[in-house]
Amino acid sequence: MITLTIDGRKVEAKKGETILQAARRAGLYIPTMCYLTKVKPIASCRLCVVEVEGADGFILSCQAPALDGMEVRTNSPELFSHRQNIMKLYDVNHPLECGVCDKSGACDLQNKTLEFGVDTQEFSARDHKRDLRKWQFIGYDESLCILCEKCVHVCNEVIGDDAIEIHYGGYNSRIQPKGTEELECTNCGECIAVCPVGAMISTDFQYKANAWELEKIPATCAHCSAGCALNYERKYEGALEKNEPKIYRVTNEFEFSTLCGAGRFGYDFENRVAGRDEAAFKKALEAFRKADTIRFTSRITNEEAMILQRLKEKYGYRLVNKDAGNYRKFLEAYATMSGKSLFNGSLESLADADGIIVLGTRILTDNPAVRYHITMASKRHNARVVYMHPMEDEEMKNVVTQFVKYEVGTEEGVLALLAKTMLEGKIDVKKIEGFLKDLDEGYLSAESNVGEEELEAVKTSLARCRRIALVVGEDCINHPRATQIARLAALFERFGGISVLPVAPKTNSLGVALICDLDDESEGYTIGYNTPGDFVLSSLGEGDLDMPALNQQEGTFTTLNKRVVPTNVALPFKGYVLNDIANALGVEAEFTIDYTERLPKEKGFEAVRFDDIPYYFSNSEGEVRGYELRRLKHGVDSSLEDIAELPEFNGPILYRCDPVLQFGPQTYRASQLEGEEPVLYGAQQFAVAAKLQEGMRVRVNVGGVEMERVFKIDPTLKGTIALNPTFDLGLSEDLLSSNYRYSQSKIEVVGQANE
Amino acid sequence: MSLEQFKDRNVAQNYTFIPVDEPPVEPLDKFKQVVKRTFKGELFVGLWVVFREMVRFNIHTVKYPMEKLPISPRYRAVHKLYRLLESGNERCIGCGLCEKICIANCIRMDTRYDENQRKEVTEYTINLGRCIFCGYCAEVCPELAIVHGQRYENASEQRAHFVLRDDILTPLDFLKEGKQEEFDGFGAVSPNADERIKKTPTAY
Ligand code: SF4
Ligand code: SF4
Ligand code: SF4
Ligand code: SF4
Ligand code: SF4
Ligand code: FES
Repeated sequence: MITLTIDGRKVEAKKGETILQAARRAGLYIPTMCYLTKVKPIASCRLCVVEVEGADGFILSCQAPALDGMEVRTNSPELFSHRQNIMKLYDVNHPLECGVCDKSGACDLQNKTLEFGVDTQEFSARDHKRDLRKWQFIGYDESLCILCEKCVHVCNEVIGDDAIEIHYGGYNSRIQPKGTEELECTNCGECIAVCPVGAMISTDFQYKANAWELEKIPATCAHCSAGCALNYERKYEGALEKNEPKIYRVTNEFEFSTLCGAGRFGYDFENRVAGRDEAAFKKALEAFRKADTIRFTSRITNEEAMILQRLKEKYGYRLVNKDAGNYRKFLEAYATMSGKSLFNGSLESLADADGIIVLGTRILTDNPAVRYHITMASKRHNARVVYMHPMEDEEMKNVVTQFVKYEVGTEEGVLALLAKTMLEGKIDVKKIEGFLKDLDEGYLSAESNVGEEELEAVKTSLARCRRIALVVGEDCINHPRATQIARLAALFERFGGISVLPVAPKTNSLGVALICDLDDESEGYTIGYNTPGDFVLSSLGEGDLDMPALNQQEGTFTTLNKRVVPTNVALPFKGYVLNDIANALGVEAEFTIDYTERLPKEKGFEAVRFDDIPYYFSNSEGEVRGYELRRLKHGVDSSLEDIAELPEFNGPILYRCDPVLQFGPQTYRASQLEGEEPVLYGAQQFAVAAKLQEGMRVRVNVGGVEMERVFKIDPTLKGTIALNPTFDLGLSEDLLSSNYRYSQSKIEVVGQANE
Repeated sequence: MSLEQFKDRNVAQNYTFIPVDEPPVEPLDKFKQVVKRTFKGELFVGLWVVFREMVRFNIHTVKYPMEKLPISPRYRAVHKLYRLLESGNERCIGCGLCEKICIANCIRMDTRYDENQRKEVTEYTINLGRCIFCGYCAEVCPELAIVHGQRYENASEQRAHFVLRDDILTPLDFLKEGKQEEFDGFGAVSPNADERIKKTPTAY
């Protein structure tokens, strides 16, 4: 610990911290314009200057490390006039359009101009024409841009798209797409979030509402298992409408958390109903009385899962949730090898790693938050990133240092080989040591197509890394050999000191897996909750009884980060909720959130009331949201099965994979994302193998679900695997979500795209 | 803050004093005063004036609602939304300041990004059932767009009636006839505005 004095106050700082960080943690204010907590200091604004005793001139506090015994002054008449001049320079030719600007009221330029009392202007410069650019989700107004570079840095250092850059040209400088004419990126919208002025804006939100009219509802994103923190911002629907709120946009606390485009632009997936449909409710009760099975998806809250579990306990229903079921089996198998009820990895350990292996996931679309943490590790610690998958991902090449391609279906073999490479010599259990020694490397290498040299390269590249993380994706979790793969993955945690993160496939897969005692197959009369069934409860608006969507509910999710995080009601729901059904059936609780404190403690949950779960951000603690599940001791079984014969997939293969911004029917309902066309993307090689041509309309049948897609050739892809989306399938999406993601399905040409 | 100004209760300092006779004290004096005042003839003067004007049909009573008195430009009655004098475009830019400042929370508006890349106000309503005619909206408006008009008759069958944008927006033909008068009530530009403005330097 270092002690320094800032404005006469003793402040503690960690080694390597900057003066600004130390000051902020102590609650002392230093004005900044270009500082962004989650990226390296940009140092473009010079507003953060301070005086340091004994040093000449001003020091940039965002860059200068705090040193022991330093005496810092953050305020003096000289500093004030220096900062005032900076603000005057920013104001030169800045359009006087606060009246219409989206940023007005939350604008750093406005705030600091007032803070430093800029009431006259001595500087001037000849102005020139500045462009307004508009891309699909993002717009850029050059004349408002103050060139702080936050957007460029966040895009590069957190997201990893590296899609925008500064065009240097003195007074003509501006932000522009990097390497392309139009902006081509994953549309996370983080550049909009970090922009201190109104230069980067959401094209959809532009000019729709003023910042101060919007009420912020802190919530949790409901689209993927990362459960990012976000604010739904709502206001009345329209001047002449009834007094019903509408969500206008989603924002995030961008200093501490990051959103992907699905969370940011896919917010209005609510299920609007006129009122309580009593007839339907009666039918629902009848259905529950005769039902044998309740089948549901993992896009529900922990509390709803708890209600279903209670119903099961009382009425003996079979609870079927395929994706959470597979995840549960994966985790259980994992625990028998690791000795802990839960895996040790987390997003934080990922961002902190200096060596990362990603296996069995197309992580860019599967889980953007995991991808961002990989990017952060890469940019902050220069992390080596080994990406193992049958398909290369062009957009990951900014961070991936080694790409290892294996044959479809051979995940088990690949992980065994990897374990041998990374762990041999570190294992002190005879049985396992013997298992690795006896691996038939020749066979595994030949079948999986992962050569010895590649594994050697992985070994050498990670040799010097001290904090290694392994990300295991859905290809492994939904693999027919998932339990064995889980136990192999657990070896890395147990013997390698590696943090292992199995990416939960859906929003609350982890919560459901822990809370519900799941059955394998449906039997008899089935109630489907957001899945097909004999009686369907649906928040997607296509069922027999309407249920609230996840932005109309309060409750908690369990994220892949092993955290229980709260979400709040952004929009009212006027119909019946699951708790009403439960109450009518004798499983009683006044509110759904009464179940929050009853979540099973033996699974690591805590007995806290919903209202006591923290959700805030602070300079000293960062994001404080929810609580972490406890990892409990678990019995260990060190015997390992032999590796099964590796399957072979020949010919054209379909890989179940939604495009960027889509995570199933929920995102597809959102107004900004509903226009997405389901496209089957394949390489030229795939087209040849499947005898397809660009623009053909094809019908495919995967796992019994028929769908029509337009086929397009994606030049960045290689090989004979095509990406087949399922986001447009509505309730049926769930039927596929637990299958092994690769399939060899019949592809039938039914016409041309524009027919 | 010093409370001096509140403590100085000598508010009469600038008054002109009108000489008034001492009021009578004795009962007899009081009686005399009553008789004097009653029969002095002023009563009949008054009655005569009334009679004369009645005969001449020269009536001074304002025959409301057929007739109305002119009112001060600072009077705050039902709002108007003004247009730019030359182009006829709406002045309101949808900045939302009036909505924010409104103490009765009765202003609502819808805005959008229009075809000319501008912020367009598509609807603007004031719930007159709640408006307290404080004038804050007119005062805060940077564009002199929302102003108070002179229409003070608010009788309505509805307890809460709205004014919609079309009700208060200056009609175009009205504007062309030059009938939109500049507003010099609440929030209007001060007469010495020009002197107070400093120009941005242009060194080039
Ligand atoms: S960016 Fe800020 S200062 Fe500039 S017009 Fe917008 S609100 Fe005003
Ligand atoms: S667009 Fe915004 S964030 Fe990017 S450089 Fe300009 S002002 Fe900064
Ligand atoms: S979809 Fe996932 S990564 Fe994207 S904002 Fe939501 S929780 Fe975060
Ligand atoms: S006069 Fe006052 S109460 Fe009425 S609309 Fe204006 S600000 Fe609101
Ligand atoms: S203050 Fe004036 S310009 Fe702004 S929204 Fe209200 S009427 Fe329009
Ligand atoms: S915050 Fe330090 S230079 Fe901008």
